[in-house]
Amino acid sequence: MSRGGGDGQQLRVDWPQCRARGLCAELLPELVVLDEWGYPVVLGPVRPEHTDLAREAVAACPRRALRLVRR
Amino acid sequence: MTTPLLWYANRGTGVVLLVVFSLTVLLGVLATDRSVSPWWPRFVTQGLHRTLASLSVLLLVTHAATAVVDEFVDIRWWQAVVPVGATYEPVWMALAAVSLDLTALVVATSLARSRLPHRVWAAVHLTTYLAWAAGVVHGIGIGTDASTPWLAATTTVCVVAVVVAAAARLVVVVHTRRGRARATTPARGSGAQLFASGRRAAP
Amino acid sequence: MIAPPELLDVHRGPLLLAGIDDDPGLDAHRRRVGPLPDLALDRLLDAATAGAVRGRGGAGFPFARKLAAVADARGRRPSRRPVVVVNAAEGEPASAKDEALVRRAPHLVLDGAELAARALGAREVHVVTAQDRSAAGWAVDDALAERATRGLRWTRHTAEARFVAGQARAVLELMAGRPGLPVTGWAPAAHEGHRGRPTLLSNAESWAHLAAVVLHGPAAYAALGTADEPGTTLLTLATPPGPGGRMGRVRVVEAEHGAAAMTVLDPAALVSPLLVGGFHGGWVHPRDVPGLTVSSHHLRGLGLSLGAGAWLSLSDGSCPVTETARYTEFLADESAGRCGPCRHGLPALAGEVRGLAEGADTRRRVRELTGLVTGRGACAHPDGTARLVSSLLTRLEDLVEEHLDGRCGCAAPQRAPRAVAR
Repeated sequence: MSRGGGDGQQLRVDWPQCRARGLCAELLPELVVLDEWGYPVVLGPVRPEHTDLAREAVAACPRRALRLVRR
Repeated sequence: MTTPLLWYANRGTGVVLLVVFSLTVLLGVLATDRSVSPWWPRFVTQGLHRTLASLSVLLLVTHAATAVVDEFVDIRWWQAVVPVGATYEPVWMALAAVSLDLTALVVATSLARSRLPHRVWAAVHLTTYLAWAAGVVHGIGIGTDASTPWLAATTTVCVVAVVVAAAARLVVVVHTRRGRARATTPARGSGAQLFASGRRAAP
Repeated sequence: MIAPPELLDVHRGPLLLAGIDDDPGLDAHRRRVGPLPDLALDRLLDAATAGAVRGRGGAGFPFARKLAAVADARGRRPSRRPVVVVNAAEGEPASAKDEALVRRAPHLVLDGAELAARALGAREVHVVTAQDRSAAGWAVDDALAERATRGLRWTRHTAEARFVAGQARAVLELMAGRPGLPVTGWAPAAHEGHRGRPTLLSNAESWAHLAAVVLHGPAAYAALGTADEPGTTLLTLATPPGPGGRMGRVRVVEAEHGAAAMTVLDPAALVSPLLVGGFHGGWVHPRDVPGLTVSSHHLRGLGLSLGAGAWLSLSDGSCPVTETARYTEFLADESAGRCGPCRHGLPALAGEVRGLAEGADTRRRVRELTGLVTGRGACAHPDGTARLVSSLLTRLEDLVEEHLDGRCGCAAPQRAPRAVAR
C-alpha cells in the first residue's frame, strides 16, 4: 500500500486526552480545522507533502493527543 | 587550570542563564493561556518556550562546566549534581545542584514525553518552578556581582515577572478545578434494591 | 434516565434457551449437553467458522477471526499468555438477553469461555456483569462456584451501571483497576488488551453460541437458521420505558436466523415504528416492519444492524419523535464526559431533537450535529446516537412531518426525568 514517504498515514486524535488547545489546527490548517467547541476535525489522510508538518503538529500538542499512524 | 576567561565565562553564563531561564518559565506559563489571537499563534509561544529551554540547558551546562574546570575555586564534578559535600560555599552549591538535577529530570521527561503518561510528565514539569527558584537564590547567594545595581535590578525584574505569572496561573488552575468537579456524569446508581428477589418473573 | 427492565419474560428457545425451564445448575446442564470436550485451537476455529458465530455485543464481528487474531498474537510472543473475557455488562437498558442468558443458562456461556481459554492456553478468564443487574452477578458467582477450575483463574468484575461501561475498552479499563470508561485503543484488544496481552473479549451470547456449536455439533447447529447464517440469535423485545424511565416488561426470545419478524413480534408491533438495535440502532417504518427478517444480511441491506438484538416497538402508540428526543437526552447524559465532541455535541443534539419534538423544524442543525459527532470519540457512543437520530429523519420522514404539522396526535412532549426517585 505505501508508495514511500508519508503515503498511507493518518492523523488520529486521542479523544479522552484532547483539551481543544488548537495548536494542531494552527500548524496544519489544510488538514485540521476546529469545530464549534474547539476540537479538531481531521479532514483527510496526510499527504506526503504534509508529513513534516503533521509530525510537528504531533510534537506540538501539549497533551500528546495526536498521533501519526499507518492507515 | 585557571584563567580569567573561565571565571568570566562562568559569571556571564550565570547572568544570562538567569534571564533566559526566567523567560523560559514565563513563556511556559503564557503557553497555557487559551486565548486565541490572529497575530500571535500559540505554537509560536510554545516554540519559543522550547527553544529558550534548550538554550537554558546549554547555558546551564556551560555554567556548571566552567565552574568545575576552573581550579581557582575548588568545585568537583560531582558537586554539580550532589547537593551535599561541597567545600566551596556549600549552601549555594547545594541549591545549584538541586537546580541542575531538577532541570535534568524535566529535560529527560520532556524528551521521553511520548512514552510517558501525561500526568507524569506534567508533575515533573511543575518542578521547573523549584529549579528556577533554587537557581535564582543560588545566584543571589554565591554571585560576586550580586550587589551591583544592574544585576540587582535584573534579578528583581526576573523574579517579579515569574512570580506574577505563576500566581496568575495558580488562580486559573484553582478556578478550573472547581468548575471541572462535575466533568464525568455519575453512573445510574447501585440499583441493588431493584432486583432484590433475583428471581425470574413469572409470565 | 432510563433503567433496565423490571421484569424479564424469557421464552424457551431451540438452542441457547432450550433449558431455561430446568435448573440452571451445572449437573442439569451437563445432563442436557454432555461433558465439555478439550478442543485444540484448530478444531475450535473450525467450529466457530462452521457456525459463522458473530459478535453479539453489537459489532457483529466474526468470532473465528477474532479467535485467530488472538492466537496469532500469542504465537508471536508466547511469553504473554492470552486472556479471555466474557462481557455481560449489558449497558443498553433496552437489552436483557445477556442477563437472561447468564441467569438461566450460565454454564453454556462459561463453557464457551472455557473452551477458548483451553484452546488458547489462557489461564485467566474474566466475567463482567453490571451493577444494576445484580441478579446476573449472583448467577455468575453461583455458577463459578460449581465448576472445577482445573488451572483456570476465574474472576468476576462489576461494571458501573452506565451505557458506555459495556464497551470493550471500558471493560478492559475496569479490569485494570481504572474507571470503567472508554479510552482510545491504538491496537486491537486481540493484539494488546488486558495488561498488554492478547485478549479475547466477547459478548456473553457469543460465548454461548460457540459452546452450542461445539456441544451440539456443527450439523445440529446449522440445522437451524439459513445456509449463510446458521443457528439462532437472541432478541429482546421491548416497549418504551415508563414515565419514571424504567423499561417495562420485556420479552427475551431466541429466533432462528432468517425467521420472519412476524413470528416474534406481536400484532400491534407489526403496524408501529420499530427501533432495531436498541438506542444505538435505527428506526424502521411501520410499512417495512412486516417484511423484516431476523437476519443481519437482510438488515444490513436496509442500513440497519442486528446489533445486540434489542428491538423496541412503539406499539403502545408513542410518538417516535418524542421518544427519540427522550432517548437522545438519555444518551447525552450517559456520555463519559471525556471526549470533547461527545461531551458537547450530544447535549446539543439532544436539545435540537427536543426542539423537534416540541414542534420546531431543527432538522438542518440536527444533521449538522450528527455529522459533527460521528467518528470523533474514543468509542462509538456518539456514532450510535447520531445513527438513532439520523434514522428518525431519513426513515420516518413522513412521521416527522406529521409531528411538525401537529397531525401525529401525540400527547404533550415528555421530558426525560433527570433524577430517578429510589
